Amino acid sequence: MRTVRVSAMAFLGLVASAALAPQLWTPARYETQFRDLPDANPSRRFPLGTDALGRDRLSRLLYGTRVSLILAPSAALLSCLAAAALGGMAGFAGGWLDRAILAAADLFLSLPWLFLLLMVRACLPLNVSPISSATITFVLLGALGWAAPARVVRAAVRQLKDSDFVFHARSAGCRTGRVLWRQLMPNVAPVLWAQFWVAIPAYILSEATLGMLGLGVSEPLPSWGGLLREIEASALRSQIWVLAPAFLLAAVVGSFRLILPQEDHSV
Amino acid sequence: MKALAIHILRLVVLVLASGAACAILVRNTPGALVDERELDRRLDENDLAALRAQKAEEARIGTYFVHYLRGFLRGDLGYSESNHEPIAALIADRAPETLRVVGAGLGGAWLLGLGLAIPAGRWRQSFYVFGIYDGVSTIAAGFLLSLPVALVAYLCLIAGAPPAVVLMLALAPKVFQFARNLILQGYGASHVDMARARGVGEMRILWAHVLRGAAPQLLALAAISASMAIGAAIPIEAICDVPGLGRLAWQAALARDLPLLVNLTMLVGLVTVSAMSVAEAVSKSGAMPGAVAA
Repeated sequence: MRTVRVSAMAFLGLVASAALAPQLWTPARYETQFRDLPDANPSRRFPLGTDALGRDRLSRLLYGTRVSLILAPSAALLSCLAAAALGGMAGFAGGWLDRAILAAADLFLSLPWLFLLLMVRACLPLNVSPISSATITFVLLGALGWAAPARVVRAAVRQLKDSDFVFHARSAGCRTGRVLWRQLMPNVAPVLWAQFWVAIPAYILSEATLGMLGLGVSEPLPSWGGLLREIEASALRSQIWVLAPAFLLAAVVGSFRLILPQEDHSV
Repeated sequence: MKALAIHILRLVVLVLASGAACAILVRNTPGALVDERELDRRLDENDLAALRAQKAEEARIGTYFVHYLRGFLRGDLGYSESNHEPIAALIADRAPETLRVVGAGLGGAWLLGLGLAIPAGRWRQSFYVFGIYDGVSTIAAGFLLSLPVALVAYLCLIAGAPPAVVLMLALAPKVFQFARNLILQGYGASHVDMARARGVGEMRILWAHVLRGAAPQLLALAAISASMAIGAAIPIEAICDVPGLGRLAWQAALARDLPLLVNLTMLVGLVTVSAMSVAEAVSKSGAMPGAVAA
């Protein structure tokens, strides 16, 4: 299992390094059009061919990978920070604050994730610049995804709050802020870390679903969702290489799942 | 009895709160207070004034929600502006299609997931057979879980597969992974070895020892998979062009159709929270000592 995990990490490292410097591997930027070569077959110059607008597919795939690989962890970080703050407050303070935060989390969890995401994204502005659309999409993922990790953090903090070392710290005169920062946070960090890694593949898949429905990152900025949407426009049977983004997406998401310490299949 | 009352109260509060949150969200959406009908030259001043008064009333969320609840108690769910039809009739018209897709998809997912998980437990003692079977089925499940549901829907659409198959492919890997772990755990229990030593047949061991022991967790998963199926129904119905509630919700969100969205959000919230409550209750009953004859 360790070998599989190391292989998955190596693969992710390879994909990330290729995506961070796409200009090393591709002849042009993602938006450059080769107008005399639309829908070109794979060649030495264009290993994945070109799309209907004459843009290099490999270039778009690498730039799209960069968008997803930078923004999905950022969204996961945002939701984990919100979960740490809200879950930590709920677990530590207890009382009405705990009940209010739990009620808010229940409200977010009372709707299926995809339903909530699609409804909220559809209600936000769609006719915006590519950078704004990417920001809106991933900020939304981060903002809506706090509820489940917050419940986990709250449970962990509640358990730790009554532990011996916290009593010792308090009896030694530690203030609340110091107890939170020096005693609780280091012990809650592994829980948050696990939630962070679980959230990344979930957000990558959610962005891809949004993108396929036309609610993700807007053109010409590529993202995995937008690239998968191009499958719709192309003749799949004659151009099988248009499925390259799907295979890369599956490999990256699968690798993220493999490097998790132990996947939790609990209900 | 008290616990049941608390559950019902929580359900009602959450459903109403999700409806109110939806109304606030839609009302604050850019362009939500603009009505394209105002551009219609055939409307006179009186019509325009009535239209603006209606919009102004909808803009006051509190008043709108109280009116909505009054209508709801009389069986009137309101009128969908984007579909030009009463909402109750729209939901009654579209619900059977979604129920059909969700029912067939869930049934298929459970047959496939459980059907693939049982042999993994059954062959766990055979090193090579288990290794190959478990490896192949786990990789296949992992691959399907690594694809966005919208892509699976689109590929199935190209292949001519019905939407229920998409739902089945989206849910079966989750059912398989969870059921496989439970069944492996069940077959590893000492009472199973004892039953086998006493000559109890394999089918009886599966039914009476393994599946019965795992029943509470599997029932909890069944309830949660219903909620997951509803969530997955939106992209599936939108891509496969199924005239169900998922596509209706999708169109309502794009058209900012407030009354329809509030109703659909509350309906989805009701189903999800009910499913979660059932899962929670079943898990708790299974966790109680002696509740499951293992």
